[in-house]
Amino acid sequence: MMAVHLPYEHKYLRHKKKFPHVWCPGCGIGILMGSIIRAIIDLDWKKDDVVVSSGIGCTSRMPVYLDFNTLHTTHGRALAFSTGVKLANPTLKVITVMGDGDALAIGGNHIIHTARRNMDMTAIVVNNNNYGMTGGQFSPTTPEGARTSTTPYGMMEPNFDVCDLMSGAGATFVARGTVYHVMELDRIFKRAMEKKGFSVVEVLSPCPTSFGRANNQADPVDMMESLRDDTVTVKQATKMKQQDLEGKILRGIFRDVDVPEYLDRYEELCQRARERLEMNQ
Amino acid sequence: MAEKAEAGTKPGKAPEEGAEKPLIRIYPEWCKGCGICVAFCPKQVLEMGEDQKAHVAHPERCIRCFLCARRCPDFAIALTDEEGRAVKKEGDDQ
Repeated sequence: MMAVHLPYEHKYLRHKKKFPHVWCPGCGIGILMGSIIRAIIDLDWKKDDVVVSSGIGCTSRMPVYLDFNTLHTTHGRALAFSTGVKLANPTLKVITVMGDGDALAIGGNHIIHTARRNMDMTAIVVNNNNYGMTGGQFSPTTPEGARTSTTPYGMMEPNFDVCDLMSGAGATFVARGTVYHVMELDRIFKRAMEKKGFSVVEVLSPCPTSFGRANNQADPVDMMESLRDDTVTVKQATKMKQQDLEGKILRGIFRDVDVPEYLDRYEELCQRARERLEMNQ
Repeated sequence: MAEKAEAGTKPGKAPEEGAEKPLIRIYPEWCKGCGICVAFCPKQVLEMGEDQKAHVAHPERCIRCFLCARRCPDFAIALTDEEGRAVKKEGDDQ
C-alpha cells in the first residue's frame, strides 16, 4: 500500500483540528480557499507573514481553517481591523475575505472608504448572491428576479455590480473570477496579492443549499455549469455582439492602475512634519 | 514526501501501460459527495459511489490535469506526486 499523500495545500490548513469543514456540499468557498493557498504558495510568502481576516458569515469561517495569522472579527468590519493590522505592521501581507452581505451591506461603508484610502491590502468578496448562513435572505448582490427566502416573488431591486462600485471608489486593482474557472482564479489572486495598493477580487461562488434550492438549482453541478455558461472573459466580450452579451457576466481584470499608496503617503507626511518641527526649533 | 517522478506521470500525458499506481486518492471522511469532480473530469475518471462519495473508477484514463483536486471544495482529492502542481519548496514541510 502506497503512503497517502496529502494535497500540498494541506500544509496551509489546520487540517488536523478543524476538518471536514462546515461548508455545505458543493459550496464554492472551499475551492477559492484552495486558490488563495495556491496563490500564496506561488508567491512564496511565509505563513507568518500573511494575515487573513474576515467578518461574519459563511465565507468568514475561512480563517478558522487557514494556518496563517488569522483574525475573525465583527460583522462587516473586517476591513477596518485589517487596516489596523497593516498600519501597525506594514510588512505583513493582509488579505481580507468577506461574503457579499458582509462586504457590501453591513460593511458597505468600510469597503468604499478602504478603497478610497488605497492601502496595500487584498480584499476578496465572495459573491454567492444571498446570505447563506442565516437562511438565504436576499443581499445587495441578489440578481433582479431571483427568488430567495425573503423575496419569494423574485427580487425587485437591482443589484450591485461589485467591480463597478469598487472601480468608482478608487480601488487600484479590480477583478472578477468564478470558482468554476479555478486556474484563472489562481492567476487573478496572485496578481491581486502582488499589487501594491488596494485590490478587490469578486469571486462568484455557488450556494446550492440556500440560493440554488430557491432557484431550481439545488444540484451544485448545475450551479457550476451556469457559472461556466453565463460568464465570459473581458477579452471574449470585445469580440462578441451586443445581443449575445445580454445576461452574461464579465470576468477578468477590469482595472489595474498605479496610484500612490497610503502607507507611502503617510511616511511622506511624517517626514514633512518632522522637517517642520526641526525648522521651528 | 518528495518522491521522484515516476514514468508516465507528467501532467497532460496518460500514464504508460502497466504503470501501477493509484494516481488519485479520495478521502472518504472529507468527501461530501457534491459531485463536482465527477461532473467536470474531462476523462470521466471518477464515478459517484453508492455511498454518495466519489470513487476512482478509471485511473488509467487520468491525464493529470489536476482539475478535480483544484475544484474539490473539501480538499478531499490528492494526486500522488507533486508534479504539475505548484513546485514544492524546500523547507516548506511542517
